[in-house]
Formats: sequence, C-alpha cells, structure tokens
Amino acid sequence: MTRILTIEDDAVTAREIVAELSSHGLQVDWVDNGREGLDRAVSGNYDLITLDRMLPELDGLAIVTTLRTMGVATPILMISALSDVDERVRGLRAGGDDYLTKPFATDEMAARVEVLLRRQNSVATQATTLQVADLELDLISHEARRAEQVLTLLPTEYKLLEFLMRNSGQILSRMMIFEEVWGYHFDPGTNLIDVHIGRLRKKIDAAGNVPLIRTVRGSGYVIAEPV
Amino acid sequence: MGVMYFEVSGYLDNLAKHSLMQRQHLFSHFRGEQLEEALAASMTFDIRGIDAYGLFDAQGVYLGGALQQLPEGLPLDGKIHTLDDCADSDDPTLPADSCDAVATQTRDGRWLVLLRDNGSLFAVTRIILHALFWGVSLTILPGIAGWHLLRRRPMRRIRAIQDSAQAIVAGDLTHRLPLSNRRDELDMLAAIVNAMLDRIERLMHEVKGVCDNIAHDLRTPLTRLRAQLYRMQQQAGEGSQEAAQLDLVLAEADTLMARFRGLLRISELEDRQRRSGFIELDPVQLLEELHEFYLPLAEEGELLFVLNMPETLPPLNGDRALLFEALANLLSNSIKFTPAGGTVILRGVNDGGHTRIEVHDSGPGIPEAEREAVFQRFYRAEGGQPQSGFGLGLSIVAAIVSLHGFNLEVGSSELGGAKLVLNCRQSLIANS
Repeated sequence: MTRILTIEDDAVTAREIVAELSSHGLQVDWVDNGREGLDRAVSGNYDLITLDRMLPELDGLAIVTTLRTMGVATPILMISALSDVDERVRGLRAGGDDYLTKPFATDEMAARVEVLLRRQNSVATQATTLQVADLELDLISHEARRAEQVLTLLPTEYKLLEFLMRNSGQILSRMMIFEEVWGYHFDPGTNLIDVHIGRLRKKIDAAGNVPLIRTVRGSGYVIAEPV
Repeated sequence: MGVMYFEVSGYLDNLAKHSLMQRQHLFSHFRGEQLEEALAASMTFDIRGIDAYGLFDAQGVYLGGALQQLPEGLPLDGKIHTLDDCADSDDPTLPADSCDAVATQTRDGRWLVLLRDNGSLFAVTRIILHALFWGVSLTILPGIAGWHLLRRRPMRRIRAIQDSAQAIVAGDLTHRLPLSNRRDELDMLAAIVNAMLDRIERLMHEVKGVCDNIAHDLRTPLTRLRAQLYRMQQQAGEGSQEAAQLDLVLAEADTLMARFRGLLRISELEDRQRRSGFIELDPVQLLEELHEFYLPLAEEGELLFVLNMPETLPPLNGDRALLFEALANLLSNSIKFTPAGGTVILRGVNDGGHTRIEVHDSGPGIPEAEREAVFQRFYRAEGGQPQSGFGLGLSIVAAIVSLHGFNLEVGSSELGGAKLVLNCRQSLIANS
C-alpha cells in the first residue's frame, strides 16, 4: 500500500487532501505542524510527502532542506501560498520535486502526486518504448506507430504524447501538461492546450481507430487502454 | 531719467516762452524810431542768433529786421505760438527745430514779430535724452547678459531634478530629488517633494501589505471551497441532476480561482524590484517558439498566422518566461478577437540596434480613446459584450513590460485591427 504523509496546518484543507488521495487508493497520514512532520518524515518511510510551505513554527523550506541533508530521498510535493516564480525556484532548489500554489484544485494535487509516484517507480526500469493498446512510442528514435502505421509527429506533439503515455491511465491537468511540455509556469488559458491535444488526437486517434486520448471534464486529459 | 527729461523739457519750454514774453513787453513800450534802435541794439547781444525780429507796417510790408516777411501760419493776435518750421538761426551747430513766435502790435500800429529759435534749449534736452539712452543700454544689455549667465547653474540643477522626477514617474519610487548644499529655494522645494515621496512610498507599502494580507487570507477559503465542491461532485450519482449542477458550480469556482491567481500574479510582478534574473535572450528563438505554440489555435480559428522576421535580431535583456507570457497574452487576444478568415502577424524588427516586436491582427482593433485604459485590471470596453473584455491579460503584459523597462504601444494595424508594439529598449537603469 502506498503511504503518503501530509503536513498541512489547515484542518479543512487537510481533510480534503486526505479524502482525495484516499479515493485514489493511497493511505494518508496527516500531521498539522512542522516538528511532528519532520519526525515522521525521517522515521516513517513514506512513498511521498505533501508539505505546506507556510507552517507555524517551522518553515516548510527548512524542513525540505533538513530532510535532504539527512539523506531522505522521498519525493516531496510542496503546497505553497507563495506563488511567485522565484519562490517556486527556491522550493525546487531546496529539494522539492514539484510545487503547487494555493488556491489549488484537489484533483490537480492528486494528479501531481500520482505522477511523482510513478516517476519514482519507473526510475528503476529504463524503458525504451512506451505502449498503450496498439499505440507504440519509441523513445530512442522518437517514432510513433499506431497499428503498425508510422505517424509523423512535430517535436511538440511528440513531447506531449510522451508525457501522456508515461503516465498512461493517470489524469493530467492542463497546467501539468503545459509545464511539462513547454516548460512555462503561467496560465495560458485552457483553450490552448485543448487545441494542441486536438491536433495530436487527429493523428493518434484517426478515424477507424479506437480513441485512446480521453477528456476528463474539469480535470484534464488521460491516455489509456480503451475500456 | 525719463521723468527728468520730461520735466526739464517742460521747464525749458516755459523758460523760452517766458523770455519771449518779456521781450514782447519790453519792446511794446517803445515808439517810433526808439523801437528800431532798441531792436537793433538787442541784436548785438544775440551772438547765437536765437532771437530774431521783424518789423512790418500795418499792412504787413517789411520795414526792418532779420525776418523779412511775416511767418506763415502765425496768427496776428499778440499771443505766443509755436511754429514747427522755422527760420534757421545763424549757428549751424544748433539743431533745426521748432521756434516760438509772437506777432504783436506796437503803440503806433506797426507789427513786430519776435521769434525765438528753440534749438539751443532743445540741445539741453537732447543731452538728457542721450544720457537716458546710454544709461539704459549700459544697464539693460549687461543686465540681460548677466541674467543668461546666472540662469545656467540653476537650469542645470533644474534639469537634474527633471531627470530624477522622470525616473520617479516611470515607476521607481525609491528615487529622490537631488539636494545641493546651498539651502536655497530649489533645495527647499526638493526637500518638500522628497518628504512627499517618502510618505507615498510608505503608503504604497502599507496598501501592498494590506492587499497581500487579503490575498493570503483568501487563498485558504478558496482552496477549501473548491475542494469541498469537488468532493460533492465526485460523490453525486453519475449522470444525476446534482452531478450536472455541481459541474456548473465547479466550473465557476475554477474560473474564480483562475482570476484570483491572475490578480496575485500581477501583484507579484508589480512588486518585483529585482531584475537580477535577467539574461541575454535571442528574440528569434522566442518568436519561433511563440509562433509554433499558437499556430494550432490560429488554425482552429481559421486564421492565417504569419511569423515575419529577419534571420537575426539584436539580443534582449530579460526574463524569458515572463516575455513569453507577455507575448503569449498578446497573441491570445489577437487570435481570440479576430474573426475567421482573418490574419495575425507576429513580427520582429531590428530598429536601429534594438529589437522591436509587433503583433498585428485584422480584428476590430482597439479604439483610440481606450488605448490607455485597456491595461487596467478587468477593463471592459464601453458597451461591449461580457465576453469582450481583456480580463487580466493586458494588465499582466503591462506589469511584465514595466518590469523590463520596455515600452508598449497600442495602435492601428495596416491589416485593419490592433497593432501592439513592444520596444525592447531598456529605458531604466538595469540591475538597480
């Protein structure tokens, strides 16, 4: 059972985090202050930690730095009220793996958690190809094939497909897609990502093929085996 | 001096008339031949020939004297008149001038005309006039020259003050007007303005602090709100009426959150004093990336989206992510507002050594009256539909442009719509 530690001082928010992650089949432990959080993180052997940056008494950034200095390699999702880009950079540089700013959507938080967990697991296996149903992606030659037919993808389309396929079965929010594929951290308006996905769909899910890329209303996109 | 001239002039004039009057009275007492002798005698003393006389009989026939005929225009009434045109006196050094004359009837019926040339008198006034002229020019001309010289130093100081003021107006509130050691009026004024600026800076910090606190305080409630709505949506039966309603509510909550984050973003950008994150960027790469990024959206809207630039452009000093965001906002607007079948152009130009980036569209454009106002948060065009506002996008662009010290202009494009021009020449001191 995958175990998550949530360090969050606002009870209502914490309850929602716990509920959402639990619904994904994860086991969640919640602490509401930094000191206890640090203790548990060191001893608890968790698979992932969600950490509120603005905690009473102990600053979230300090906790991350301490954990990394002590050699704790658990992936950390920082949840912060400090949304300035500089702060994001500081958080990640201190050792955080991902950074989510408040106010946030719980489903987005869950998606990021899942992506981080998956990344952690797949570090061991160095796959050279990704596969979803009859769609194949060669990570070395950057070639995509559907039902043995080679598809021509633009560089951005390739990056997009790779991200979706690496996290197949996992809903990815538009912001996550934008950040991963284009590397920027502002909100470009939902429409833009939709259009790029649309273009990819035209190539991947061309007429005659079972659609693999699905839209999850209000949350994002997912590529998965057809149900 | 002028007063003296007039007074002296008047006095001398009176003196002249008085003298003439005296002569008139003197000669009126003589009769017959005694008159002629007296007249001739008086002439011997008049070397300069100021006084002249003429003796005529009752019919005006000439009898004797220097005046050989009755002067024209002289009324025969025994009163002193001033004649403009005069018989010249013997002394050539005296200016030809007016004279006073009187025609008086003697006791035996003859006409005696006495004439006095005013030239000599007016020589005096002329001396005064010259003195006046010289005095004036010797005071006024050096005065003007002195004024120009004295202006220079204060003008330099005023120019220094002007430069500081411009920096302040451009947004750098930490600037202060320069003070010299003199403690003169300019310094007093500068000190007052500086005190005002201190206060304004403090007030703005307070306001910013309050805004930050509000923003901070709103983050948690918004998170909670959204989270709980989401949970309700998940728990509602699939396809049920509640699920449908919650979908709508959740969409609204997401919009609310997005706008809120936009506002926070603008706040952060406006706050950012540091420009140490700036690096040298190649605008060509940036524009290519933007073009590739927005091409699908443009095609979706059936628009022609063209990238127009030379092979190389002068590098910019800035934050790549922020500039991408700013230009992305501009392109997003252009694409959104241009109707199908139209054109959007992204152009890079080498403008005398620095890069200029333009976004053109064939949409409705921005009316001249609104070109300043569109950069306000949530600005809506007068009488426009609810969807026609620019929301926060342009405010974010304005904040980013200001942070970089660049200049953004709004105008009309030859395509018929809006033209947004970003001049990437830094006008403030970098790394302040």
